[in-house]
Amino acid sequence: MTETLYVQLLDLACGGLLLGAVLVLWRRELSVIIRMFAAQGVALAALVAVLAAHQRSVDLWVVAVGLLILRASVLPLLLARALTAAGPARRETRPLVNVAASLLAAAVLALLAYAVSRPLVALAPSPATQAIPVGVTVVLIGFFVLVTRRRALSQLVGFLLMDNGITTVGFLTTASVSLVVELGVSLDVLLAVLVLRILTARIQETFGDADLDELAELHD
Amino acid sequence: MNSAINTAGAGLGTAGALAVCTALVATAAPARVRPVVGSVGTALTGAAGVAAGIAAVAGQSMSVTLPGVLPLSGVSWTLDALGGLFIAVTGAVAVAGSVYAISYTRSHGLESRGVQAVFPLFVAAMLVVPAAASVGTLLVCWELMALTSLLLVLAEHRQRDEVTDAGRWYAVMTHLGFLAILAGLLTFAAHAGDDSFAALRRAAHTMPPWVAGVVFVATLIGFGSKAGIVPLHAWLARAHPEAPSHVSALMSAGMVNLGIYGIIRVGQDLLGGGPRWWWLLVLALGAVSAVYGILQAAMSTDLKRLLGQSTTENMGLVLVGVGAAGLFATAGQQVLAGLALGAALLHVINHAAFKSLLFLAAGSVLRATGTRDLDNLGGLRAGMPITTGLFGWGALAASALPPGTAFVSEWLLLQALIHGLPSSGGVTSTVTAIAMPVAVAAVALTAGLAVATFIKAFGVGFLAKPRTEAAAQARESPPLMLAGMGLAAAASVVLAVLPGVVLPGIGSAVAAAGVGGESGSARAAAGVVTLRLVGVTGALSPLVLVLALLGASLLTAGVVRAVTAGRVGGARRVARLWDCGGGPLSSRMEYTATSFAEPLQRVFDDVVAPETDVDVDHHEESRYLVRTVEYRRRVPDRIEQRLYQPLLKAVAAWGVAGRGLASGSVHRYLGYGFYTVCALLLLLAVTR
Amino acid sequence: MTALGVVGGIAQPVLIVAGSPVLVGVMRQVRAHLEGRAGAGVGQPWRDLRKLFGKEAITPAGTSEMFRAAPLAQVATTLVVALAAPFVTTDSALGVISDLFAVVALLAMGTTVLALAGLDTATAFGGMGASREMTIIALVEPTLLVAIFALSVRVGSTNLTDIVSATLHDPARVASPVSLLAAVALVVVVVAETGRLPVDNPSTHLELTMVHEAMVLEYAGPDLALVELAAATRLAVFLGLLANLFLPWGIATELTPIALAVGILALVVKVGVLGAALAAAEVFMAKLRLFRVPELLAGSFLLALLAVAASFFLA
Repeated sequence: MTETLYVQLLDLACGGLLLGAVLVLWRRELSVIIRMFAAQGVALAALVAVLAAHQRSVDLWVVAVGLLILRASVLPLLLARALTAAGPARRETRPLVNVAASLLAAAVLALLAYAVSRPLVALAPSPATQAIPVGVTVVLIGFFVLVTRRRALSQLVGFLLMDNGITTVGFLTTASVSLVVELGVSLDVLLAVLVLRILTARIQETFGDADLDELAELHD
Repeated sequence: MNSAINTAGAGLGTAGALAVCTALVATAAPARVRPVVGSVGTALTGAAGVAAGIAAVAGQSMSVTLPGVLPLSGVSWTLDALGGLFIAVTGAVAVAGSVYAISYTRSHGLESRGVQAVFPLFVAAMLVVPAAASVGTLLVCWELMALTSLLLVLAEHRQRDEVTDAGRWYAVMTHLGFLAILAGLLTFAAHAGDDSFAALRRAAHTMPPWVAGVVFVATLIGFGSKAGIVPLHAWLARAHPEAPSHVSALMSAGMVNLGIYGIIRVGQDLLGGGPRWWWLLVLALGAVSAVYGILQAAMSTDLKRLLGQSTTENMGLVLVGVGAAGLFATAGQQVLAGLALGAALLHVINHAAFKSLLFLAAGSVLRATGTRDLDNLGGLRAGMPITTGLFGWGALAASALPPGTAFVSEWLLLQALIHGLPSSGGVTSTVTAIAMPVAVAAVALTAGLAVATFIKAFGVGFLAKPRTEAAAQARESPPLMLAGMGLAAAASVVLAVLPGVVLPGIGSAVAAAGVGGESGSARAAAGVVTLRLVGVTGALSPLVLVLALLGASLLTAGVVRAVTAGRVGGARRVARLWDCGGGPLSSRMEYTATSFAEPLQRVFDDVVAPETDVDVDHHEESRYLVRTVEYRRRVPDRIEQRLYQPLLKAVAAWGVAGRGLASGSVHRYLGYGFYTVCALLLLLAVTR
Repeated sequence: MTALGVVGGIAQPVLIVAGSPVLVGVMRQVRAHLEGRAGAGVGQPWRDLRKLFGKEAITPAGTSEMFRAAPLAQVATTLVVALAAPFVTTDSALGVISDLFAVVALLAMGTTVLALAGLDTATAFGGMGASREMTIIALVEPTLLVAIFALSVRVGSTNLTDIVSATLHDPARVASPVSLLAAVALVVVVVAETGRLPVDNPSTHLELTMVHEAMVLEYAGPDLALVELAAATRLAVFLGLLANLFLPWGIATELTPIALAVGILALVVKVGVLGAALAAAEVFMAKLRLFRVPELLAGSFLLALLAVAASFFLA
């Protein structure tokens, strides 16, 4: 593909990633959050597909398909199932930081990500590496979601956002990706989600609520 | 990678293989056979170690490097004379202890798989530490030794609660020491770029002095805590009494030596000497440990605790020698340095011999009477004559009196210190002029207190009348236990009478440590029958001394018999003891260990500071009528109280404060991570 | 081992064993005269010994071989010191053990076996004597060794023969501060080790004040004779060492009858004068209570330390 098309598609995919992250931060309904996460998964897969087309690498195509299956289908499905099992509460209860402040924080984090990534970009300037700050931003936003949400499910989504961001940065920086590494990481993430899901279910059973703030009473 | 296989290497390899095989076989063997298998295997391991050590000291050295075994660094072993000396000592103690253990484990219920399998591994770990030739190897073997010894200390934790407490103290302190050694050696290796000892030796010349100082102090702390040096001695007085007796013997006579080995190896060999203040520090620590250790031992009424504290004292004396050697070496007086280090190493060997004998005898007493408390013993010579004789010899050997074993090494040490003053051809400096007399005074005070301590232990514990039923019913130990003690006693007799047999080996070890200069063989003293000091004036012949004493005794006995026309020496009439007319004396009227030490405790009251508790129980009718009075007197370890308690309190307070961080809120925990990451990123962004 | 040494090795023990009861007698007589008594005569200790040797040998109930062997061991150690140290001749029969440390340690060994015998009796007095004696020994050791340090610093060796010869060749050394301080320290040491006033009263009858006597309370007959002989020879040996370390003139340096006779006479005179002076001083002193003795010993330790310091700073 031509260079300009490549750059445009790349930027589009990264923009989709960033938008997905911001929407997860913005919206409060859990089902919407999960759908945004799925969309972000699609954007990530698209990014990797663009890279694969540019580099004409079969490995990357395989990875793109795998990402599509895992992060855009399997994980959101698992999360949706957890959501139905969670009971009638469908909305995020008041987050620790209100939405306006969260969005402002997201802006600050984006600036931080740009500041930190400058040396990385300067190391090997190319359209791919120019997009690294986006990945770092997604990581930081994911971390922020993890920290400030009360529902276990939202925190899980935050964690998965972080992983998406890390994967993005990984793909944008490395020249060739190791299939084994990506497989390993994906497997880890899948496992983590399953475990966390079971844990959440247990907490639900025992305490009747998955609100982690209630768990604070357990400390001595 | 070179691999020269000779007797030394073969011996060490055999020892290691034997230990592992014994451990495996002992795990699989049935309970009846297990102690025998385990102990015999360990004895063979010890014997192989002795062979390897003697071969190394005689000049054979060996080097083996196995890069794959440990990740990143591999293991490498080099056996030289210095390491060989310590390996031989450990092996010999292991032989005596294992022979003893064949019977001892059966009577004490120590046949469990854990103890029997770990014991040979402990001996093997102690044997390989002096052969380590890279930082990684040393650390791994050191940690292995610490873990195996910890498991052995905890062997009897089901029977007594104090064992768990002792094990905890030991675990924490040995690992803190390990951390100190780790920090020091890693700093050194980081500077050198490679972790093999050869590279460290080369890099020592280019290290800035403050880095060298940090390395030395850190390793001194770590190795010193293993040797039981004040102020890191608290574990010794706790762990040694609670461990099984043969393990205590091995720890006291084998493991603590490795602390000394570490200090000599790192300070003299790897760092190449260093400035004067290092060795003054070592000398000061040694002198304080010696005096404090024997003072605590003089106050102690628990037999094994007394012996453990005496180990602190002896290691302090060894460090006095090491420190003096370093001082002389920095001043260029190589002959004196060789003399001082030779005295220190001779004391290590002598101490191993008599301390193992004493611990094994204490184990016999424990087995026969069930108690270690001297105030409850007494009169054991009637039921346990051989053990009494052996302990008596051990007590003589431990107090620095002729013809005992410690007398020779203390004589050598004093000669080294005395010749260190400039007027007698020594070092010209004010610091030395003050340090030498103070060191001599400390050694002398230690010697005097040691005499008092061991007279107390022997006289109160073994002579006179039994103070309790248990002591009255003590019976002699089984022959294998006596054999183990006999081996240790024989070794200490040889060392007392003919110390010249080990002096050439000590000379090689001193030369291997880089002390003593290039003048020939760096021997402290030459000669087998008479020790003649090399380079300075002084001679002593322990053999002639013993023979003269024996001759004088025979002469006196003969003259007395002639003068009294044969009446003395025949059957004597038994007469009543002087009881001031008040009736027969009971065993309650005997002096106990506490009362024996009371004058000394009063003299040293400021240092010892005993605690007394008096509980008076009154009758219900009237407060003027007393039903019972209970008097309790404890001599606590002052340094523990002053140093450790505040530290532990501070750590506990810190822990309690840290609980404030654990508020229970998951968000806060996550927040900690988040803020830290953001702060780090900000820092990165700003500083780049 | 030279011929001179051999002759000395025969003459010294005989002289010391034969002469020490006489020394004790002289000291008692001096005390008696100063106290206005007639005294029992110089030969009384020998008469006592003869009487005791003629008595029946007994063993107190419950004691062991340690108790019976202790007096022998004490006499043996003192004999070895008498053999090895330079009293009459500078050369010693057993030169390889005429080291000052070895001699001092041998003498301490003698006291130690007696302490063990005291513990062996299983009486409270025996234990008390042993405990007190051990405390004193423990506290005397630093002073003793540091004083030896001071003496040996100038000579460069702790060998007694070397020290005595060096003082013979350089008489002015005796008047130096080092020697004087060391001498005073050693006098206190000798008093403590031999159990004289003010540390211990050898003629007390009150058990609770005894140190040495309490340990030997159970001895009788020939055993007591040996103990008394050992005490006397220890006193003679200590005084002889004190004399020859600081005032060695008269000691025989060559093997001629005149030199030997002068050596014997010099030893007798020096030890006699020192003993008489000690006895005379005792008349004017009271015994210190046990817990004041450490103060005395600390003072002597300080003097010995000053002696060593002086040897460096005034060198």
